[in-house]
Amino acid sequence: MSEKKKENLEEMFKDLEELIGKMENEEITLEQTFDLYNNGMELLKKCNLSIDEVEKKVLVLDENGETDEF
Amino acid sequence: MNGIYTVKQVNSYIKNMFTQDFMLNRIYVKGEISNCKYHPSGHIYFSLKDESGTIACVMFAGSRAGLSFTLKNGQRVIAFGSVSVYERDGKYQLYAREIKLDGAGELYEKFEALKRELCEMGMFSDEYKQRIPAYVKTVGIVTAQNGAAVRDIINVAKRRNPYVQLILYPALVQGEGAVKSIIRGIRMLEQQGVDVMIVGRGGGSIEELWAFNEEEVARAIFECSVPVISAVGHETDVTIADFVADLRAPTPSAAAELAVYEIRECKKTMSAYEDRIVRAALSQIGLFRTKAERFSMRLKLLHPRHKLYEHRQFTAEMENRIRDIMERRLTQEKHRLALNAERMKRVSPLLKLSSGYSYIRSEEGKNIRSTAQVKRGEKLEIFVSDGKIEAEVHNTETMIHG
Repeated sequence: MSEKKKENLEEMFKDLEELIGKMENEEITLEQTFDLYNNGMELLKKCNLSIDEVEKKVLVLDENGETDEF
Repeated sequence: MNGIYTVKQVNSYIKNMFTQDFMLNRIYVKGEISNCKYHPSGHIYFSLKDESGTIACVMFAGSRAGLSFTLKNGQRVIAFGSVSVYERDGKYQLYAREIKLDGAGELYEKFEALKRELCEMGMFSDEYKQRIPAYVKTVGIVTAQNGAAVRDIINVAKRRNPYVQLILYPALVQGEGAVKSIIRGIRMLEQQGVDVMIVGRGGGSIEELWAFNEEEVARAIFECSVPVISAVGHETDVTIADFVADLRAPTPSAAAELAVYEIRECKKTMSAYEDRIVRAALSQIGLFRTKAERFSMRLKLLHPRHKLYEHRQFTAEMENRIRDIMERRLTQEKHRLALNAERMKRVSPLLKLSSGYSYIRSEEGKNIRSTAQVKRGEKLEIFVSDGKIEAEVHNTETMIHG
């Protein structure tokens, strides 16, 4: 469940928003800036992974719960 | 020529006959709609047909209050109005004032009753509505495999985001077995763990849409743990499924738009985030650089060399001041010396001696100013202008000067 939550784009966007807010407004140390930068880039990478840019074929579900291409 | 009439005369004669006929003035006609056209003026032109033939009909804009649904070809209706002649075409037609769906009355009542019941049970209330996730990975679809609905959904979904996985459960959406099939589809897609589900079908008559008005389907949607978007028929078709679903889409295409996020927008959002992160980092680094530069400036100012220079300069100044003071003091003293020498010269005893006075001193070196100071036989020294005389006291005599 937590794994799934981590991969959720919406959650990650929320985290990014918060992170950028910190970077833009708060008085932070240089180390924190670098940490936040790295975390932000890592999050963006995760976002990209989460999208899984492979075009999907439509699947058809049969009575046995098996899927087949449309 | 007797017995010859104009077209106008014949048409108005026939029209008159129709008008005077009591039955034709208030008549209910049952049939199926065909050739239905909505004229921009608001009038509706259509035909009613049955196995044997057709009758032309018109409903004027002024009578539209008698129609509470959208007329569509194939609908079975009961039209109320009058049959009269349109003289220009020499045609008779039905001027409809009220149109009702045939056989719909019973279904409509059933619909209203169920709607009321489920509403009272709270099945439509907002607190049970699940939010449709903004970014889904898989979308379940319960609809007919060969209908227009599934094509619309696939087209819209693919256009918006080809990376979202669509899983179709091919369901029977009308007729016998439709209810069971729809329910099974919802349950199976729920098991597949899709993120959101579209349940629906294309447009049709109330009978064709009826499965979506059944309580069992409503309950299956209500109980589904996955958010459900209903998409039944056209915008004007409202079913129980629409009320109970987490979100109602007016059409299957609209459902796909609501379920599937646009990949381009998403990418734009992400690159905007990236820009902001980079800009924020650069500006933070910039701030620190300025801070560092300011410190470096201050440090430079505090370098010991500066102190050294300061001390050296101070010493040099002091030296100059001391030198000045000394010089001034020296010249001052020289002046004073000269002055005093001059004054000394004026009061010098030599000057007195040279003008006839002399200076007498005892043997102890005391200046003798009175007779009381000396005794007889005492030796004295007398200084005159060119030397000294040694003398001896013979006698003293005191004189009082007036």
